[in-house]
Amino acid sequence: MDAPAPGAGAPSGGFGRLSFGFLAVSVLSGTLLVPFYTPAAAWESLEKIQSGLAWGFFLRAVHAYASFGVLVATAAHAVQVLAARTERQLPAGVWWRSVLLLPVTVAALLGGFVLRGDAEAVAALAIWRRILESLPLAGAEIARLFLGSVPGDLGAVALHHAGTLTLLLWLFTAEHAGRFIPDARGAVLAALVSLALAGTVPLPLGAPPAAAPAHLLGPWSLLGLQGALGYLAPAAGWLLPLAFVLLLGLVRHAEGRVRRALLATLAASCAAYAFFTVRVLLSSRV
Amino acid sequence: MSSRRDFLGRLWTWTGGALAAASVLVLFRALRSAAPSVREAALDAAAVSRAVASGGAVVGELFVIGSAEAPVALSLACTHLGCRVAGAPGGFACPCHGSRFDAAGGPVAGPARSALARVPLARRGDTWIARL
Repeated sequence: MDAPAPGAGAPSGGFGRLSFGFLAVSVLSGTLLVPFYTPAAAWESLEKIQSGLAWGFFLRAVHAYASFGVLVATAAHAVQVLAARTERQLPAGVWWRSVLLLPVTVAALLGGFVLRGDAEAVAALAIWRRILESLPLAGAEIARLFLGSVPGDLGAVALHHAGTLTLLLWLFTAEHAGRFIPDARGAVLAALVSLALAGTVPLPLGAPPAAAPAHLLGPWSLLGLQGALGYLAPAAGWLLPLAFVLLLGLVRHAEGRVRRALLATLAASCAAYAFFTVRVLLSSRV
Repeated sequence: MSSRRDFLGRLWTWTGGALAAASVLVLFRALRSAAPSVREAALDAAAVSRAVASGGAVVGELFVIGSAEAPVALSLACTHLGCRVAGAPGGFACPCHGSRFDAAGGPVAGPARSALARVPLARRGDTWIARL
């Protein structure tokens, strides 16, 4: 039997619909948190939300789990699409913007992590700044654009987290899905998963910003990069993700052996990333 | 033959492109001018004296060693990616990527290649002024 022609398979939108649903839950819960968060007093805001606000801890957990769900469902959807070879159902421009959903989601999650204002968040902000500053030509300016120019002020990060990145996520997702709001099934399922996780696995408050623990962990989705940066120059912090996104985007334009080689490289990258993630987690327990 | 409609379409495109390029240039210049300037931090002279007497201690954002007459301040920002290093046996350790530094701030292990930055200190009355 012949293999299906590229783009001839059925649409593979199960996880995609779920991802859009998670995004809607994340935006809604994030909007509800905004009145209680002050970027200039991030740690104090988190303390108040966590313990001084009725159901604040639950709302924060719903927001976090829904946001994690966006990344997990988007990654699962990408695997689903590549396995079904349906990437050519999208026009090239829409495909590339859809590929950008992965780094934009990771950046939004990193922004949310930094906005916690705890010891791990302070370290993550410093690392993020150094990595952006290592960009050629305009690194320092780009770092100021996304992270602000005043040390300790999280206003710019909050603006991009809740504004720019969320808007991009919604626009790219809506364009990809061909609809501006998620369908009811995806939204309800995402809401149920987020609520269940928030109710059963509460999110703890991090260490105060002045604390000096022996090990600091970044956001879970970036632990592999944290492990790799233990051996590589700061520029690897943007070079590696850029290479991954380019390889993923090029899959749509490749066929036969080239496509298989690209997929094998992507799979090897994911395996290496998982290895470094486990390594960082194990070393933090020593 | 290009019509008047094509010409106007191209004109709009080029005008939009020029405006976008000008906006990027203005933004770039504004961001460049927003570079953080050197700021001064006052360190209490008594705290500095206690730090050097104990062989080195954290004072504010800095680690102070040396002598009471000529204290030396080390930045606690790891030279690899900027995490705040913490005291460890024999020197300092970075909690993010495992870089280690000796007691004088020199790199010993891990991805950091250069020593912890030395911050100039100047005496002003009862305080030492650090230029960060």
